[in-house]
Amino acid sequence: MSSATTVHSASTKTFLWVCMGPVLVFLTIVAVAPLTLALVDSFRELSMTSLTKRGAFIGLDNYRDLIGTDSHFYGAILHTAVLMAIAVPLEFVFGLLIALWINRQFTGRRLVITIIMIPTMIAPVVVGMIWRFFLMPSFGVMTVYLNDLGLFEETTVFSQSLTAFGALVIIDIWEWTPFIMLIMLAGLSSMPRAPIEAATIDGATRWQILRHVQLPLLRPLIIIAVMLRAIDASKIFDTIYVLTGGGPGDATEVIASFAYRTNFLKWDLGYGAAICLVLAFASLVVAAIFYKIVSGRPAPSGAS
Amino acid sequence: MLRRRIPFGFFIPLAILLAIALVPYIWILFASFKERVDLITAEPKWIFDPTVVNFVDIFERGFDTYLLNSLIIGFSSTALTVIVGTMAAYGFSRFRIPAGNHLFFFILATRLGPPVAYALPMYLIFNWLGLVNTHFAVILAHSTFNLVLVVWMMRSFFDDVPRAVEEAAYLDGCGHFRVFWTIALPMAYPGLVAVSIFVLIFSWNELLFSLILTGGETRTLPVMIPSLVLHTGTLWGQVAAASILQSIPVLIFIFFIQKKLVQGLTFGAVKG
Repeated sequence: MSSATTVHSASTKTFLWVCMGPVLVFLTIVAVAPLTLALVDSFRELSMTSLTKRGAFIGLDNYRDLIGTDSHFYGAILHTAVLMAIAVPLEFVFGLLIALWINRQFTGRRLVITIIMIPTMIAPVVVGMIWRFFLMPSFGVMTVYLNDLGLFEETTVFSQSLTAFGALVIIDIWEWTPFIMLIMLAGLSSMPRAPIEAATIDGATRWQILRHVQLPLLRPLIIIAVMLRAIDASKIFDTIYVLTGGGPGDATEVIASFAYRTNFLKWDLGYGAAICLVLAFASLVVAAIFYKIVSGRPAPSGAS
Repeated sequence: MLRRRIPFGFFIPLAILLAIALVPYIWILFASFKERVDLITAEPKWIFDPTVVNFVDIFERGFDTYLLNSLIIGFSSTALTVIVGTMAAYGFSRFRIPAGNHLFFFILATRLGPPVAYALPMYLIFNWLGLVNTHFAVILAHSTFNLVLVVWMMRSFFDDVPRAVEEAAYLDGCGHFRVFWTIALPMAYPGLVAVSIFVLIFSWNELLFSLILTGGETRTLPVMIPSLVLHTGTLWGQVAAASILQSIPVLIFIFFIQKKLVQGLTFGAVKG
């Protein structure tokens, strides 16, 4: 943006309207109007299942119930936070280690990276189905081998809170570690050689080079990778929808599945609209932080 | 280079890594070619007589209709997003736009929030307009979701196009439209192709909006796959067959756009 032209002539103005007009119209239709409509509905008692109470204006009651007393809402936030807090750091560590490991030239590198990227790139709903098939009670291939080890003989993975949650964490790690690896690999392969060579000549060990040369150079990419992953993890829905539906009980209920259940299974639309508005507001805060980090930094080692 | 010779020990952990990534996928690939008796067995069967009954059966269950829906929605939303987003990206890249940063930021916020936060508002408005269960509703939803990717990536590609050529064209009397159309756009063309592929893949894989905004005859493939989980039991062979057919185009694409993969997955924040 440093060399951007300031708007001056009339023809420039026309051209700018052509550039920006479509996006403005588009955002009005798909974001501003729907959110406004949801805002109006969030002040009403609106349920598709109870026609008697339809549309009564109840002010901020939906928000008061949601933020004040809804233990399911806070439960969903807690589950999402725990999932993020366990899965994302592990994905980072594994992703970094794998990137350090394969950051060299060898034949078939392109095919290897394609294969490693499969879990990240296939549809999350397919990921969910693959693991549901893997862990199917009695006959799933994983279940059979776990039974051979004496595990889950009496029960199934998704029937107990702790193991269901653990399985979702492991599946998330399987699905998303390649994402972190790819970003780390981009940083490592575009890293200047000189500092590493200088450190090697000075007799630094492999660990010292990683700790004092490579990691500091990777820092901006690490921040971007972890932030993007954390943001995406907070939105987890597809695998939950396929694997547990939030259960057993509400052990794996996350923010997205909670909102989905309220809106599209219970059809409690006024309350659901309040949830959406709270989430949309939270996303503005997250976006502000992300924007500051990504656009506010100089660009070493591959980040722009 | 730290090491020039690659030791054999490098390949063993690599093989383990590839197995972890690939075995679950291979297992579902095998399952897609299995008869029901080979699918539900007390001991996992790694060797079996392959059959195509599952593939035949999913077509009888309307796989072709859902495939067509996925293609219509995917290509339409890609076209819409790329046109709208590329114009905006060029504007952001070349001009100082009044309140431009706020707009740029708002576009980002639409993508960073949970899609479910936009799902109900969109459902309400499309319901009001009578557009639920139409392709149009999902096309708009997917376009919203992917707009940020196009704007952010295309802006970084336009930023990389040298300004000197454009300035020369201005001096020769070209207007903005001609400069955009005949100089900037062709030079950013490789980026445009990569962005389009990404948008297509994300639309192709998307579940939530498709689930909410389509039904019956307008369902997409990601909605069809979980619908094969019936109350009477899951049709695993069919699930496997549909999953394989749905994911193979994605695998082919990632092989060919690997250089742009990291850029696409980070909205252009990281360059490969």
